[in-house]
Amino acid sequence: MTEQEIIEITYKVFEELFEIKREQLQPQAHIFNDLGLDSLDIVDLVVALQKSFGVKIRNEDRVRNIRTLQDIFEFIFAIKNEESKKSS
Amino acid sequence: MQLKRAVITGVGLITPLGGDTGSLMEGIKARKSSVRYMEEWAQYNGLGSHVAAPVELKDEKKIPRQNRRSMGRMSIFAAQASAQALADAGITPSEIPLGRIGCIIGSTMGSAKSINDAFEIMLPTKDISLIPSLLFFQCMSHTAAANVAQYLGLTGYLMAPAAACASSLQAIGIGYDLIRLGRQDVLLCGGAEELHPTVTGSFDILFATSVKYNQSPQKTPRPFDQDRDGLVCGEGSGILILEEYERAVRRNAKIYAEIIGYSTNGSGSHISQADKKSMIHCMSEALNNAQVTPEQIDYISAHATGTLQGDKEEAEAIGEIFGGHVPVSSLKGYIGHTLGASGAIELIASLQMMEEGIIYPTLNLDNISPDCEGIYHVTQPVRKEIKTILKNSFAFGGIAAALVCRKFDSSVKSNGRSE
Repeated sequence: MTEQEIIEITYKVFEELFEIKREQLQPQAHIFNDLGLDSLDIVDLVVALQKSFGVKIRNEDRVRNIRTLQDIFEFIFAIKNEESKKSS
Repeated sequence: MQLKRAVITGVGLITPLGGDTGSLMEGIKARKSSVRYMEEWAQYNGLGSHVAAPVELKDEKKIPRQNRRSMGRMSIFAAQASAQALADAGITPSEIPLGRIGCIIGSTMGSAKSINDAFEIMLPTKDISLIPSLLFFQCMSHTAAANVAQYLGLTGYLMAPAAACASSLQAIGIGYDLIRLGRQDVLLCGGAEELHPTVTGSFDILFATSVKYNQSPQKTPRPFDQDRDGLVCGEGSGILILEEYERAVRRNAKIYAEIIGYSTNGSGSHISQADKKSMIHCMSEALNNAQVTPEQIDYISAHATGTLQGDKEEAEAIGEIFGGHVPVSSLKGYIGHTLGASGAIELIASLQMMEEGIIYPTLNLDNISPDCEGIYHVTQPVRKEIKTILKNSFAFGGIAAALVCRKFDSSVKSNGRSE
């Protein structure tokens, strides 16, 4: 999966689940301060990311460090890389 | 202790005939039924009743996502009806002292669709982690009340009577008591309910639904009629603003009516069967509480859902107290049985009749059933000055509730009671 694909899928999650307009979705957007998410939304974000990317991240400590959309892209990219290394 | 007085100063409605009071009354005047065939229900094996009265959901996205995300369908109805009622009353919650405006909104249970969704997500894989975080808040029994309070910033009493089809009348009754005791200044009271095949199914397996009119849905339900064959589920929400009388007068509010009596009881005899004795007791206690005689009641808004047993028992109970003198009608033929919301929705319609001086008839009552005779059935609109009304609600679990309202008369200075 390319970084661009990760960005597209993540944006789609934010558009559909949190009803955020595409123009507000910038890599540096802060998911709490700029996009208005709260702790309850994070639970759903994790479920949606798991489903969209086919990964298991519910018990990942790194989820707690996510602040911006860029953090999500990098996190998913890292998880995907780790998974492919494990399987190869 | 001199009790305070509770008056109704605002109303809000979401019904199968439309999303406000005007459209409900226009539909009733036009003798319009909102019952239709539910094509998508044909897939359910064993479900005999394929008719229902659905609401057309509108403008739900006007509720901010942060509030809407914890709302199932019934909470959206309740939120919209509550906002309407506040606007109608001219009340802004933030202008009322902390803790003095609350809400009491009942329903049979939490959002049926959300409960169904939760199990559909979880059961195939037995994986609880797949359930969205907000689904619980849609499933909980006090979902409508809690969501309305959060959405509108209500900081007072927050309660949700779950008494099936008597839920909203109990909510109004509790509100009446709280206002009279001086515990709250303003309360949003009523109920909300949503359609789902599992809801109709719960009545269907008990043979309480209408099953003979799937091809002619507008002919059912048929309260008090000889060809009635059961109830038809509806959905929606009715919310009334209950306000302490002196406060309402001080701000020169429009007063629809004063609530002057209420009672609720349990039959103590059977979990599902309607019970004439407890109905009579409940209505009598409400009249006693209101300090009015049966002759002083101008209109009875019956619970009558179109079931064989329930309509018969209610007609007999009404006959025993009122004989054939007081006009009686049921509104279930227009909007189906909106279950936990029915008491509030039908009370609001009755207040409109009070204002217009017209009693609207029971739809689909073509031939009065011999076992429902002996009372004054309204089959054509009746022009009449309506000063005092009685609203009945009866529910599974052996519950009865009855509420008495009197048209507001500014010349009556006090309810004259010290209890």
